[in-house]
Amino acid sequence: MELDYQFLIKTFFLILKGIPTTLKITAISLVLASPLAFGMALAKIYDIKYLKKIVVVYVSFMRGTPIVLQILVVYSLLPSLLNVIVKQLGLKIDVFAFNPIMYAYIIFTLSSAAILSEVFRAALLGVKHGQLEAGLSIGMSHVQTYIRIIIPQALVIALPSLCNATVNLIKNTSLAFIMSVQDITAIGKIQASYGYNYIESYADVFVVYIVVCTLIQLLFNIAEKYCGTFRQRLKT
Amino acid sequence: MRPFQPLLILDLLPELLPYLSVSLEVVIGTIFFGAILGIILTYMKINGSYGQSHIAHLYTYIARCTPSIVLLFIVFYGLPKIILELFSYNINNLNKIFFVIATFSLLYAASVSEVMRAAYYAVDRGQYESAVSAGLTPFQALYRIVAPQAMVVALPNFSNSVINLLKEGSLAYTIGLVDLLGKGNLIIAHNYGSFVVEVYLAMAIIYWSVTIVLEKFFFHLEDYLLNRKKIRTV
Amino acid sequence: MLKITNIHKKFNNDEVLKGIDVTVEQGDVVVILGRSGSGKTTLLRCINFLEKADRGYMEFAGYSIDFSNVAHSQINAIRKKTAFVFQNYNLFNNKNVLENVTEGLIIGRGMEKKQAIEIAKKALDKVGLSDRYDYYPSQLSGGQQQRVGIARAIAVSPEVILLDEPTSALDPELVGEVLTVLKRLAKEGMTMVVVTHEMQFAKEVASHVIFMEGGVIVEEGTPKDIFSNPKEERTRKFLQRILPEAEYII
Repeated sequence: MELDYQFLIKTFFLILKGIPTTLKITAISLVLASPLAFGMALAKIYDIKYLKKIVVVYVSFMRGTPIVLQILVVYSLLPSLLNVIVKQLGLKIDVFAFNPIMYAYIIFTLSSAAILSEVFRAALLGVKHGQLEAGLSIGMSHVQTYIRIIIPQALVIALPSLCNATVNLIKNTSLAFIMSVQDITAIGKIQASYGYNYIESYADVFVVYIVVCTLIQLLFNIAEKYCGTFRQRLKT
Repeated sequence: MRPFQPLLILDLLPELLPYLSVSLEVVIGTIFFGAILGIILTYMKINGSYGQSHIAHLYTYIARCTPSIVLLFIVFYGLPKIILELFSYNINNLNKIFFVIATFSLLYAASVSEVMRAAYYAVDRGQYESAVSAGLTPFQALYRIVAPQAMVVALPNFSNSVINLLKEGSLAYTIGLVDLLGKGNLIIAHNYGSFVVEVYLAMAIIYWSVTIVLEKFFFHLEDYLLNRKKIRTV
Repeated sequence: MLKITNIHKKFNNDEVLKGIDVTVEQGDVVVILGRSGSGKTTLLRCINFLEKADRGYMEFAGYSIDFSNVAHSQINAIRKKTAFVFQNYNLFNNKNVLENVTEGLIIGRGMEKKQAIEIAKKALDKVGLSDRYDYYPSQLSGGQQQRVGIARAIAVSPEVILLDEPTSALDPELVGEVLTVLKRLAKEGMTMVVVTHEMQFAKEVASHVIFMEGGVIVEEGTPKDIFSNPKEERTRKFLQRILPEAEYII
């Protein structure tokens, strides 16, 4: 099989330029989604009446529909919707000049919030109830106990699932090219269309994703060791 | 902006639903081929030699890091070339669904082999030991005693993987397969880009409903399987 | 009818069986005593190949086995002539009581279902569980589960039953019912090799007692020899710890 090796190598370095974009989307989505997800997890655990119902429906919808569909919906509708709002308010903003990455942030935040809410819920439930009772019994408030005792322990429990969710998110961001966001896949696609070198281009994209995912997993491994120091047994 | 016509969704549903069968075909085809490959991978990981087990684990790792759409493009553009080279057979005109099932089977095999592996280790080793002590061959012991118990353990993860498959499979439209999502986009195109909201909402409703039905089905299946061994206080 | 010669077994670099000889005659009840780690369970598990011994020989049921070179067919054949009772019962969780007992007959030995059920019911009656045929293991107490395990073992009419600490995992009140069944079996002439801590049982029923430590047989003999006249210092030390002072003399 003839591969254009020159193209292969040249494109590889071009594609690398897409990594920052991919990582930006991933990081910002996770950061914005976490507080939302945490709130939703609490709503489910503490059974807060109407809030819980909304959360259940929201999570079910986000997890029950393909991410592609969610992207298409947001990308087709949101600009026009914002346009209408902007016109109503009389502001002089050109909605269509927005960097499409904004829409990527929005959709991946919304999607990740649903997934993370389940991760956090499982992690919080994994911390023994007695920890909260102990904190309250020595005079700490709910909030203090949560911040100082429960969340640190929940975090360690959540790390493996978080790693999984992050890797999945990175893979899902590959669909951002639909919104004309210049991430890894988008650059690969564009390069491919120049000379019809589809295989070389996507092979490069394939390799880049493996590299990125490996680095992320290494990071999480380190994080797990660092956060989990309190779990180590004495070395005999 | 064009006014939103919710009633249109009702008209759209019968137009879209027939194409749900294409999406389901993708899911079923993938489960079938993916499970076969998955069983082989699981065997290699558990019972294989040093080399085999490493290959299987490496395969799983790479599959886990690969976005489906990237693999879809590679298979779609690359597989015809490889087969042309090796067998001088042109498969470019093959129905797109072939490429879709091939791609997702490769990915699904990896995840299903991990599910099976976890379930296998979850069954106490003593079950296997007492089975062979009673005179069953190792294969009989696996088939009659270990596997049934492992399947119950695997069920929640398996149901998750099927639902994910349904959602991921919708990417097939990017290579032109007319499944549910593909038909939806066609309708939008035929109407010069109008009715976007209605079409997308209709598709979302269909996907959401099917997902909920699947979840309920697996939930009851799990219940049924566990019921036979409900612990009574003696 | 079962003879083991010079059996050796290593786990990583730990030699757990250092050349042991055991002879079992028909109708014998051989009790193996020893601390945990002495190799007694490993010895038992090597007989029906749940562990693979490194070297040594076994003669049993007309087979001559070289542990360093066993064929799969030989392993399967030996397993069909022995039965194993586990410390943790290991009943098939996905099958009910009757099915647990018939599994070895129908699938393991190709027996007809009707015949197998008849034999299974007889075995279950013998252990006192005739009213629990369709219960699942999760619905039984530990003592009941172990009795099913014993029924499963006798149903296949083995030449020898191997029992690995059959009562160690049971609550004290349930130990008695299992020992009663085992005593009855012994009286009826079943050949058994039992690893156990139940000294009273050993005294009453054993034809032959073996004391193991550190992978070797320290002392062996009749219960009278071992319990009231231990020759070796190590045997004495072990018995002192296990038996209350008063029981030392038979």
